[in-house]
Amino acid sequence: MNTLILCVGLGLFCLVAELINIRKLLLPILLVGLGVLFVFTLTTWGTELPPSIWGFSMETMIRFDNFSIAFSALAIFITALVFMLAIDYYKTEENHITDYASILMFTLTGALVLFSYWNMAMLYLGIEIVSISMYIMAGSRKFDTRSNEAGFKYFLMGAFASGFLLMGIAMVYGATGSFVIEEIALYANGGNLSPLFITGLVLILIAFFFKVSAVPFHFWSPDVYEGSPALVTAFMSTLVKITMFGAFYRLLSLAFPGAISEVYTILFIVATLTMSLGNLIAITQVSFKRILAYSGISHAGYMLIAIMAIPVDSSAALFYYTISYAIAGVGIFAAAIPVFFFMNNEKVEAFNGLGKKNPALAFIITILMLSMAGIPPFAGFLAKYYVFSKAVEFNLYAITIIAIINSIIGVYYYFKVILAMYTQEPDGIEVKPTTLYWTVAIACALLVIVIGILPNTLMGLMS
Amino acid sequence: MGLVTFLILSAFTIITAISVVFAKNAMYSVLSLIACFFTIAGHYLMLNAEFLAIVHIIVYAGAIMVLFLFVVMLLNLNTDNEIQKSLKLKFAGVISGGLIYLILLASTQSALPSIYELPERTSIGSVQEIGMKLFNEYMLPFQISSILFLSAMVGALLLAKK
Repeated sequence: MNTLILCVGLGLFCLVAELINIRKLLLPILLVGLGVLFVFTLTTWGTELPPSIWGFSMETMIRFDNFSIAFSALAIFITALVFMLAIDYYKTEENHITDYASILMFTLTGALVLFSYWNMAMLYLGIEIVSISMYIMAGSRKFDTRSNEAGFKYFLMGAFASGFLLMGIAMVYGATGSFVIEEIALYANGGNLSPLFITGLVLILIAFFFKVSAVPFHFWSPDVYEGSPALVTAFMSTLVKITMFGAFYRLLSLAFPGAISEVYTILFIVATLTMSLGNLIAITQVSFKRILAYSGISHAGYMLIAIMAIPVDSSAALFYYTISYAIAGVGIFAAAIPVFFFMNNEKVEAFNGLGKKNPALAFIITILMLSMAGIPPFAGFLAKYYVFSKAVEFNLYAITIIAIINSIIGVYYYFKVILAMYTQEPDGIEVKPTTLYWTVAIACALLVIVIGILPNTLMGLMS
Repeated sequence: MGLVTFLILSAFTIITAISVVFAKNAMYSVLSLIACFFTIAGHYLMLNAEFLAIVHIIVYAGAIMVLFLFVVMLLNLNTDNEIQKSLKLKFAGVISGGLIYLILLASTQSALPSIYELPERTSIGSVQEIGMKLFNEYMLPFQISSILFLSAMVGALLLAKK
């Protein structure tokens, strides 16, 4: 609860900073604030008091357990990394910096709500906070038509998905008579489910499939990722995606554990399509951001397998997967944004000859790409391994075989970038990232290696 | 009495909703949407949700429709420059929309009462009851929604200012 209040406070502070004119200091102060928030979140591990406001118990609205605290800490960490990049990225847009910072902080608030909600009303509010903030950030480059298109497309389609979510919640309410997670779970476990309940669940699933960009609800994702400013894409592809998966897992594992077998076929088909189409279309792409968008779609497919394995408690596997995916994602953007900037080009060909021009940067991108592709000893490999082993534990052999074939296909397009860096001839333009980009990129690369070699501490957390 | 009111209101709702989609002139479309919102507010009244009915009229028929009207007038939408969708797309749209409608209808069928009767008059939808809920049980969502609006407001300013 206090984490949430502190996070809102930081967001409000951004707005006050505009008035008292400390724009230059704002982002460093926010970084310190996020650091405090991170440590504070970790100290609440296992000791969180029942949430209340002015004496009114909020137990039916929000509950903090180890799952939500672990995911919250991860989200705060990712946000801090993105804010470090933002200091240099928004250097030229000083008069907008307070708006950007406050919207990103409010997105984090929405994410914290989504990791700990105990009520459908809170779920809807959390999803709306995250989505509306992201619609704005996607279109925040006002004089760039592609950014406008991204914001508008995301907004129209996202509003449609929110409509599905509301309809689904209303139908589940109609069947169970409650918005509270545990009462819905009570009904779902009772058997003899009414068609109203199942239809409601399917509508909620559709909304979540849209938000995590699963096939066939993925059409927005490449366009939005490509059109948004690169830093927003970094935020969207990491924090927003893991947030939606955290919320999705929480919903299905806490509210609908008794009904998950009813929608198993849907999950199977969607996960298969998401992995296969995401990987196959990524091969044909030339834009780097679109490749990352399709790679994000295929990763959503792998994470859906963790959702399918909910009955054998795959929360640790999902958590490990989100960590490795999000850190590698932020790292890739930290290394790629300078390349985009100096080459003035967001295609794969911008990376041509980077191995000769800036070997250290090329090396970092290679490590992060290999982790994304799932090559040992990096974190991405173990992430896939844990998810697949959970799936096998639950006897999901078919989907595991499909996923393994897909991760082999996936290696191809990650290597396209790596090959461009090392085999193509360099041009004369130098790529010199600033210190902060270096810091974030190196930190992410190191983390990916450390987490990949020593996974036990993280995996032990959730159990 | 209840049944007759319900049927008349429902007929109006359906007719106006259909005319929103089929009206050739964008202005007629918007105006029938306003009429449609009013009839839906009537349904809320019959279900003892007075507060919801008033808010529905104020927010939708008042604020949002004014915005719609402004957009329609500013953009000067005519039937001439409307993009015609291909027949294939229309066909696909009708099929998928009809399927969703069928599923929703079939699933709600189980929950529908066979005869219509007005719910008994209670104070459950009154401003007082909603206020009590909002400031006790639903305090947290109430406050969190302020973050949602704040974020949207900052965003509107961000997109509007230079």
